[in-house]
Amino acid sequence: MPGSIASFIIGVSSIFLAYYLAAVGHGLMEKSGVLNLAIDGVFTLGVAVAFAISVYTFSVPLATFIAMIVAAMFGLMLAFITTKLPISHGAAGLSTMFLGYGLAALVGLPARQLQINGRSLATIQPSLGGTWVWFYVVAFAVAVGIWYLVEKTKIGAAIRAAGENPASAEALGVNVLAVRLFASGVGYALIGIGAAVFELAYTQVWSQGAGMGYGWIAFAISLSAGRHPILIIISAMIFAVLDKYRFLIAAIYNLPPDVGKMLPFVAAIAAMIIFMVTPLRRKLAPPKSLGKIYFREERSV
Amino acid sequence: MVIVRRVKPLPYWIIPIIALLAGIAISVIILYVLMGASPAAVLSAIVYGFTRPGVVAKTFVALTIVGIALLVSFKGSIWNIGGEGQITFGLMAATWVALFTALPYINPGLAQASMILLAMVAGGIWALLAALPRAYLGLDEVPVTLIMNYIAYYIVDILVRGPWLGKHVYNYIRTDTIPSQVMFPQVPGTTMTWDGLFLLIILLVGVWYLLKNTSIGLRIKILGNNPNLLRSSGISVPLMVIVALTISGFIAGSVGALYLGGDVYRISYPVEVHTANYGYTGILVAWLSMLELIAVPIAAYIVSALYTAGIQYQILVGGHLGQLITAGSAIVDVFIGSILLMYTILITISEYKIKIIVKKR
Repeated sequence: MPGSIASFIIGVSSIFLAYYLAAVGHGLMEKSGVLNLAIDGVFTLGVAVAFAISVYTFSVPLATFIAMIVAAMFGLMLAFITTKLPISHGAAGLSTMFLGYGLAALVGLPARQLQINGRSLATIQPSLGGTWVWFYVVAFAVAVGIWYLVEKTKIGAAIRAAGENPASAEALGVNVLAVRLFASGVGYALIGIGAAVFELAYTQVWSQGAGMGYGWIAFAISLSAGRHPILIIISAMIFAVLDKYRFLIAAIYNLPPDVGKMLPFVAAIAAMIIFMVTPLRRKLAPPKSLGKIYFREERSV
Repeated sequence: MVIVRRVKPLPYWIIPIIALLAGIAISVIILYVLMGASPAAVLSAIVYGFTRPGVVAKTFVALTIVGIALLVSFKGSIWNIGGEGQITFGLMAATWVALFTALPYINPGLAQASMILLAMVAGGIWALLAALPRAYLGLDEVPVTLIMNYIAYYIVDILVRGPWLGKHVYNYIRTDTIPSQVMFPQVPGTTMTWDGLFLLIILLVGVWYLLKNTSIGLRIKILGNNPNLLRSSGISVPLMVIVALTISGFIAGSVGALYLGGDVYRISYPVEVHTANYGYTGILVAWLSMLELIAVPIAAYIVSALYTAGIQYQILVGGHLGQLITAGSAIVDVFIGSILLMYTILITISEYKIKIIVKKR
C-alpha cells in the first residue's frame, strides 16, 4: 500500500461512506419486507442528480439534499405500490431500475454539456480540513442510530414485524403500509445520500452510466452482512478497500486493468455465496416475508 | 380506495396494450420535462419505428430470440436477468471462431453455423454458472445473473485489450474485422440476416415443441407454478432450475453471434459501452408477451419499434445535446422502464377492480 496508514484511511473514507449508507438504507428497507431490486437504478439516478445539481448550483449540501429527496420519492413509490397492490416486488423493482438508468442519463447529460463548456463541479475533498473524520463519524452515527431504531424502539419492532409476518402485524395493530413507507423512505434517503457521496467525494467525474453496477455491490454488501447495521461496517470496509485499490492490486500482480474493474463484482458474488454456505445465513436470516406479496384486501376473501 | 377481486379476469391481451399506451404517454412527459423534447418529435419517431419493418428487422430478430430465451426461464419462475452476459459470452465465442480458426476460409457455411452453435454453448455455460448457486444454495438469481453481466463484459474487455487486439485497427482498441466469408448475408431490403431469420424460425418451433410436447417443458412449467409438486413426485427441483436457466442462456447466447456476424463485425473496447443492451430490452419483450410464445414476436415487434424510435429520435434531433449523442439508449431505457412499471401496476386490474369510494359522513 502506498504512503502511510493515515493516507490509506483517508483514501477509502469517501467510498466507504457511500457504500455504507447505500447498503444500510437497502437493509432497512428490506427489514420491512419490501424486496429492493431497484437499488442500482436509483443509485445511478442519485449519482446523476447529485452531479447535475452540483454543476447548476455549485453547492454540495444542496446537491446531496436533492439527491436524497429524489431517491426517497422512489422508495416511497416502491413501498406504496408493493404494499397497496398485489404486484410482484421483483417486477416493480426491476422496472424502476430501468427507469432510473434512463432518467439518470437524461438528468446528467445536459449538466455534463455545461461542464464541457466550462462550468465547474462543486466537490468535497475527504483530505481537506479533516473532512474524512466526519465521514467516519457520520457512518458510525448512522450505524448506531439505525441499530437502535430497528432493535430497541417500538417503530423498529413494527418494521421487523412487517417484514416477518405482515398479516399478524396488521392484526396486532401495526399499520403495515405506514411502516413500510417509513422504512423505505428513510432507506432510500440514505441510498440517495450514499450516491451523492459517491459522486461528489469519490469519483468526482460523470459520464453516461456513472454509478451503474455500484448499487448491486451495495446490495451484495448488505446481503453478505445479513442486513445488520453494525456488521455492514465490516463488509462495506472490505469492498471500499477493494474498490479504491483494485487497479493497484491488478498492477501488483501484473494483470490488465480490466481485471481491476472486474474485481468488486467477483467479490460481490463471492461474498453472497460465503454468506449462504456459512452459519451466518441461519444467524442473520432474511425477513420471512421479504418479497412476498402482502395484500391486505385479500384477508377476508 | 378499495380493491375487489373480479368475478372474471379481463382478457389477457388488454393489459399489455393499456400498459404500452400509458408507458409511452409517461415517457413523452418525462422527455418533455427533462429534455424539452417536443412530444410531436417523439411521437413522430415512434411512428417512424412502427412503420419501417425493414429497418426494425435486425432488432426484431434479436429481441424475439432473447424474448424466447427469457420466456423459458420465466416460465419456471427463474428470473434470468443475465441475458446481457450470456449474449456477451456468445459474442466472444463467435469472435473466436471467426478470427482465430481457419474455418471461415475452409467452409464459410460451416463456419457460420459453428459461430452460432458455439455462441449458444458459451451462453449456456455462463447461465449454468449462475444457476448452480441458485439451485444448491438458494441464492437469489436476480442479483447473481445481473452482477455476472458486468463480469462477462470485463472478461471480453481483457481479451480485446490483450491477446485479441487487432493488427489493422489504427490505434483503436478493438479486434480485427471478421473475414467477409463469415459476414452473415442480409435479406434484401431489410437489416436482418438470413442466418438470423432461419435461427429465429428454428428456435420458435423448437421452444414451442419443448414446452408443448416434452417432459422437460412440462417440468419447467410446473417448477414455475408449484415446485412442491415436482418435489413430491421425486423430480429434483435444483436440477430443473439448472435446466431452465441453462436452456435460457443457451438460446440467448446465439444473439451474440448474430450481433457479430450481422451487425458490428468486430468487438470494440470497452464492450459495455458498445453493447446493444438486447439482454435487458428482452426482459420487456418477455413480460409484455404475458409468457405466451405466440405473443413473443408481437411484443418483440412493438419493443423493437420503440427501440428504433429511441435511436431515431436521437438522429432526428441531432445536435440537441451538443456533442453528447449517447442519449439514444437513455431514451430507450425510459421507454422500457415506464412501460414495464405501468405493466407491473396495471396487471392488478386484470383480476381486481379498483374502486375509489368517497367516505360520507
